[in-house]
Amino acid sequence: MSKQPEQLDRSLNLTLDYCIKCNVCTSACPVARVTDLFPGPKYVGPQAQRFRQPGQESPDHSVDYCSGCRVCNMVCPTGVRIAELNARARAQIVAAHGLPLRNRLLGRSEVMGILGTPVAPLANWTLHTPVLRWAIEKTVRVHRKAPLPSFAGHTFRGWFRKRGARPQAKKVVYFHGCSTNYYEPHVGEAAVEVLEHNGFEVLLAPQNCCGLPLLSNGEFRAARRYHRNNLRKLLPYVRQGYAIVGTSTSCTLTLKEEAPELLGLHSDDVRLLAENTYDIFEFLRDLHERGELRTDFGRIEQTLPYHPPCQLRAHRIGHPARDVLELVPGLRL
Amino acid sequence: MAYDVIVIGAGLAGLTGGLRLAEAGRRVLLLAKGHSHTHWSAGTIGVAYDEQPLAAVARLAAQPDHPYARAGIPDLTAAVARLRELCAAANYPLAGALDRNTRLPTAVGALRPAALFPGTMAAGDAASHAPILVAGFREFRDFFPSLVAANLTAQGLPARGVYLDLPRTRRQLDFPTTSFGRLFEDRAFRADVGRQLRAARGDAARIALPAVLGLRDAGAVVNELRELSGVPVFEIPTPPPSVPGIRLYDILAEAFQRAGGRLQIGSWVLRGEGEGRRLRAIYTEAAAREQRHTADYYLLATGGIAGGGLRTDHTGAIVETALGLPVAAPAQRTDWFAPRFLAPEGHAIYRAGIGASATLRPLDSQGVVVYENVVVAGAALAGADLIHEGAYEGVALATGWRAAGELLGAAGETRNAEAAGLPAADH
Repeated sequence: MSKQPEQLDRSLNLTLDYCIKCNVCTSACPVARVTDLFPGPKYVGPQAQRFRQPGQESPDHSVDYCSGCRVCNMVCPTGVRIAELNARARAQIVAAHGLPLRNRLLGRSEVMGILGTPVAPLANWTLHTPVLRWAIEKTVRVHRKAPLPSFAGHTFRGWFRKRGARPQAKKVVYFHGCSTNYYEPHVGEAAVEVLEHNGFEVLLAPQNCCGLPLLSNGEFRAARRYHRNNLRKLLPYVRQGYAIVGTSTSCTLTLKEEAPELLGLHSDDVRLLAENTYDIFEFLRDLHERGELRTDFGRIEQTLPYHPPCQLRAHRIGHPARDVLELVPGLRL
Repeated sequence: MAYDVIVIGAGLAGLTGGLRLAEAGRRVLLLAKGHSHTHWSAGTIGVAYDEQPLAAVARLAAQPDHPYARAGIPDLTAAVARLRELCAAANYPLAGALDRNTRLPTAVGALRPAALFPGTMAAGDAASHAPILVAGFREFRDFFPSLVAANLTAQGLPARGVYLDLPRTRRQLDFPTTSFGRLFEDRAFRADVGRQLRAARGDAARIALPAVLGLRDAGAVVNELRELSGVPVFEIPTPPPSVPGIRLYDILAEAFQRAGGRLQIGSWVLRGEGEGRRLRAIYTEAAAREQRHTADYYLLATGGIAGGGLRTDHTGAIVETALGLPVAAPAQRTDWFAPRFLAPEGHAIYRAGIGASATLRPLDSQGVVVYENVVVAGAALAGADLIHEGAYEGVALATGWRAAGELLGAAGETRNAEAAGLPAADH
């Protein structure tokens, strides 16, 4: 990596010059497929980008319909970073026009988790009672049928602290993210078991929300704060040679690439954290490729569905979960 | 993960080679930077511009450096046989034959020869002089019925153009080819179009529509429109994204994955790591750090200048983008082009590519094999001016098939013979 930060920053915007207008992205886009309100990645991305100049009104607010799934990046034959262009364009609109309360709330999954966990039964009842959902729709504008997660009532961190650390020579830091901490602690509990089974002590480093919801909503200033805090908390571990391993492909992508690229953070520290962050299945696959993964799997005679997460696509590492799980005898995905 | 073969490139050559290897039981990973050649091309199979394509293939194969000299008629025949089986199984049979070309109308009303083409284009055969009604939609850009009709008429094919009214749909604004493809999968939409075609038909004996008649079940859509309109209906290929090209990609990619092949799209191969005459690993671009891949063998099918496998710059340097292999090309930039744009001998730059041995191994400028465990297929190969020769798909299929066969060894030859409908050799 010899490029200077400003070059890196420019290079993301300059990828629009690689666009040959072939429309392969539009034909693959799942949003353009279902609504006229989104004219497609080519139009709102590389085409409209030419008209987005600093200090000028953004010409194209339909970019807000981009879901950030990155199918466009994946199929683009010439390497235009369409999804990133779209995310920056949204941030430009947000900076000029502000953000509705709904997006402010939904972007702060950590705050919601802290508030909701102690009163989980009440919070869950509120979020799953039709008449209250109707009221929420009218006030905050979240559709009454939109699925919302349930608070688990306890946190992953609480479970881990109660259980205590299990010292081993090899160590990794587990980045649990908000979803595992507040809504699905069982995911983190399973991850800890797998990592420990493979001879790693799991360290519960201090951490905060990765900031992806804020990036998705265009709140770049708040997202920058979140990333700086994570840097401060995680770097001491990275400097000791420990990998940061996460079960949420969204969180790990944010630490690896989203925050640095979208926010234009390119210091050596940012890069060090990025280069040492792994999706858990990527981490396990690497172990296997080095012959270090314990493969004493029990037999599971089952066929299971597997839906790869959107943000996994943007890691550009294939399907490590499938590569690892197919080592389990009897299991078919 | 340990793969037997890694294929680089998801065009016709890479998919054909990958499919043959996977169907022979090899563990195959196919890496590609994105969608490209299939989605940009007409979805027809050009073998050579000649009244008798196979005779032209034999002539081109007599040029010592031509890809057809490495993979000729037997490989082409076998690859096409497998492709025909797959397309037929997908209810999308290919028409035409390798020993004659059929001239089919394009979106500007020119006549373009193809050896094989989707059955949905068959009624467009310019050998027939049956009058044509060319129909389109104003909402569908880049397809102008009256332009197509006027140019066909000028070439002696009586034709008339008409715009249809877009049936009521949830969509109102402009949309790409694939959106139309999905609309034609809706029965009510087809019924409306069918009624309009019958009313507009007049004395036309066949009807042309842009090639957007269904993403998946185009054969059935075309049959239904024939019933509704009362005359045969055929598709004319459109500018990209090409729905017939996407159908071909989908059929091959699905067959590849059914056979156990792994497909990783969106991953650019940046470089290789060699050890003597063996390629040990390759690296793809990824978030935060490169991904390392290893396999026993590698099949490079990254295309030429158009496909992105070769890149040129203003100094006249030409590089092979994935592995940095030596490129056989004119020494000087001034030698790239013939003086005249339409020079009958073509332009030298279009023959640039990777020089290959008789077994499709990449060669350096001294004619020495660079990597013993790498084979090269498709437009990445030097020695052909594929667009000029009309051999783009033919070379992709033949060399993709052959490159896989080189890696399969003798076992591959047996399958080759079986797929071609020939009895397997006695052992």
